[in-house]
Amino acid sequence: MQKSKSEELIKIKRDLKERLVRELSLEDIKPIDIKDDEILFGEGLGLDSLDAVEIVVLLQRNYSLEVKDIEKGREIFYSIDTLANYIYENTKSNTPGP
Amino acid sequence: MMNVLGIGILFTRGSGVACFEKALNDGWQEPAGEADANLKDKISPAYQVVLETVTGRALLKKMRRSDKLSKMAVLAASDALRSSAIENMNKKRLGIIVATAFGPQVTTFKFLDEILDYGEANVSPIIFSNSVHNAPAAYVSSALDIQGPTLTVTQFYFSFQYALQLAQAWINEGRCDYILVGAVDQYGDVLKYVHDCKLTPAPDNRIRPFNFNPTYHVPGEGAVFILVGKGNSKNAFCKVENVWIGEHPECKAPADIDIIDTDGMLADESAYFSSISPDIPVAAYSPLFGSMMVGSAFNCAAGVLMLKNQVCYANPVRDNPHGIKLLNNAGSINIELVRCIRYNCQGEKAAIYLKKK
Amino acid sequence: MLITGLGVISAAGINLAETLVSFEGRKRNAGPVSLFETPLRYPVFEVREIPRRFYLEGQRTLSLALCAVDEALEGAHLKDELSNFRVGVCMGTTVASQLNDIEFYKSYRTTGTASMVAVDRYVKGNLAQFVSRKIRATGPSLTVVNACSSGTDAIGVAFSWLNNGLCDIAIAGGADELNRIPLCGFGSLGIVSSDLCKPFDRGRKGLNLGEGAGVLVIETKDSAQKRRRTSDFYLVGYGSASDAYHLTAPRPDGAGLESSINKALTESGIKPHEVSFVNAHGTGTLENDLVEGMVLGKVFGADLKVLSTKGFTGHALGAAGGLEAVFTVAGLREGWIPVSIGFEHKDETIPVVPVRKRTYINGHHAVSTSLAFGGNNAALVFRRDLR
Repeated sequence: MQKSKSEELIKIKRDLKERLVRELSLEDIKPIDIKDDEILFGEGLGLDSLDAVEIVVLLQRNYSLEVKDIEKGREIFYSIDTLANYIYENTKSNTPGP
Repeated sequence: MMNVLGIGILFTRGSGVACFEKALNDGWQEPAGEADANLKDKISPAYQVVLETVTGRALLKKMRRSDKLSKMAVLAASDALRSSAIENMNKKRLGIIVATAFGPQVTTFKFLDEILDYGEANVSPIIFSNSVHNAPAAYVSSALDIQGPTLTVTQFYFSFQYALQLAQAWINEGRCDYILVGAVDQYGDVLKYVHDCKLTPAPDNRIRPFNFNPTYHVPGEGAVFILVGKGNSKNAFCKVENVWIGEHPECKAPADIDIIDTDGMLADESAYFSSISPDIPVAAYSPLFGSMMVGSAFNCAAGVLMLKNQVCYANPVRDNPHGIKLLNNAGSINIELVRCIRYNCQGEKAAIYLKKK
Repeated sequence: MLITGLGVISAAGINLAETLVSFEGRKRNAGPVSLFETPLRYPVFEVREIPRRFYLEGQRTLSLALCAVDEALEGAHLKDELSNFRVGVCMGTTVASQLNDIEFYKSYRTTGTASMVAVDRYVKGNLAQFVSRKIRATGPSLTVVNACSSGTDAIGVAFSWLNNGLCDIAIAGGADELNRIPLCGFGSLGIVSSDLCKPFDRGRKGLNLGEGAGVLVIETKDSAQKRRRTSDFYLVGYGSASDAYHLTAPRPDGAGLESSINKALTESGIKPHEVSFVNAHGTGTLENDLVEGMVLGKVFGADLKVLSTKGFTGHALGAAGGLEAVFTVAGLREGWIPVSIGFEHKDETIPVVPVRKRTYINGHHAVSTSLAFGGNNAALVFRRDLR
């Protein structure tokens, strides 16, 4: 049976949090400590421009998604929620069933 | 002439001057042989730094993405500043010169892994950024908020000597009031493979600095930073009287002690014979911290501590097949001048003259 | 210190004369990567052909360096006199400092073994040492690896050596080859443009990588007198300062760059209004050009004659500072600077406007600036004595 949207999003968010902690070397932070609506850049998690381009590569490698537009990137990278929604909306496994 | 005002050392046995002094007093120890992530599970004796056990890691929170090389550099540089106890230093007048032989080669190979595993369009920008040769100097600058000139230099054998010579030039010209002169290199499996192909690993894990030929190496890694400057001579550890490179050094008086950089990184270290005198005791401390192109910095640190403390440290490995006069007795001593000597593979010589303040 | 020799090689030309023709003709010799296989489609500025007598198999950076050094030594009439003087060599690079041969590494990681050919080339290929040995110089030799300001800083080191009597003559500059590592790496940072670069333009989208070598022969007055050589051109100031801000992004207020320019001007004994033009770092990235433009406007005023030559050469990384030092001296010598190619539309957030055409230069002094990955900033001041 196809997973529901919310189940899929939960999985994506969990994956994202684990990848961010690992790939961005977020020491002293556990994936489960990152809130879904936590702001990623500036305040909140405090990521910066170098983290942003690392996340771009993360999306390319793991979800085959490209983010070319910087302005659009700002919206997508706002929080775990926005990032997960972007992935969900744009990945092939989410083509609607019959 | 310039004053040595602080030292920071990070090596296999830990960090800080006290730790290094303890090692100089305790003598030789077996290198660790556990598997290391960088060695891809190969067990290999090496004098490696275990960063997890180093205290004062709060500074590293500012550099979460950096690699081990940069972390070692920042810890040692920070220690050098702290050990100087100079208050209200104008950090716009503080420079940084980092000497390295191989730079971030471990991270460079990680970047090549990225290219090979993920393709050229999908490589990690963080790994690339850390693979540039001047990353350690950049991290030292940003972690410690140092805004003077920042330079990374590389020259294989004489990197540290050239860095020290340039620091003297900058001070003479008034470009800086103080300079952190550092040396850092990291051990990794690729470098181990290259060394094993080119050189001879010590069969009993003991570098024998007075063999000269054949020579044996045990790899090391770490960082040394010394803070130099013209002023504050009251608190100085000692003075750097001069640095001579590649030309026959002119010395007005012979040194009280010669420290030589023999560590097995040259297949034939016989060139050192021409600098050794039957009257001047010779020391070599590479068996404590391992074989490194930047080993000069660690030997130099030992020389600085001898002059500051007016003690001498016995050689950690005393095998002496050529019967040269070795510094084998530890204890108080009256010394004015220590000479640190290095040769390269072309037989060219460099010497750092350290003088009591 | 006197400047008695200049040498360059880049996509714009295999020597200075050819380069000036490209500048006048507004020729941008860019194209897809041809030096190695890559799926990346960015335009790059490759050297058309390294003259055979300098070409070393598997050692492109060294080959480029030897070509430029040869031209500089020729110009300085130094080739036959080297052994009579203490000649130092200080060169900047990025690529040549790394053991990054991908075939070597592929073999090692697959089989646990690899040929030592690449390693031997690397160990014998420390840039400054190699050049020094090749020309049989007997003074100091040091390779500076300060990312994008390596060439400028190498010239600064040579200046310090000369000021401190560590040598009589110095050969200084930078060299770098186009290489897969920085191409991938800068691409991953999102700062490489898929079009030809547009330094300072409001539509700029990033840099183009290039390659080359740029070298000066600098010497003391004494040395020149002994050699019975004269020159109207001088290196009179060097300044360097770190942003202490971020590994990849420049400090937004440009404090490090401003400090380095001011230090160089102070050492030269001149005021900003005495600078006739600035050869800027001008990579064509959003951040560099904004910060640099802002600082140049603040220090020199909005009327400054400024250009970026990276539109002709690409960003040659460790070579950039060396190339641009030569171009700056050449500008003073020729009495003109080329169009800042790639610039068309003013960015209203940048106070300075690069020159839109070949522009005559009347003054005595010029500045070259460099901003490095990792946050170091460097500036050189050159002087021409007008007789």
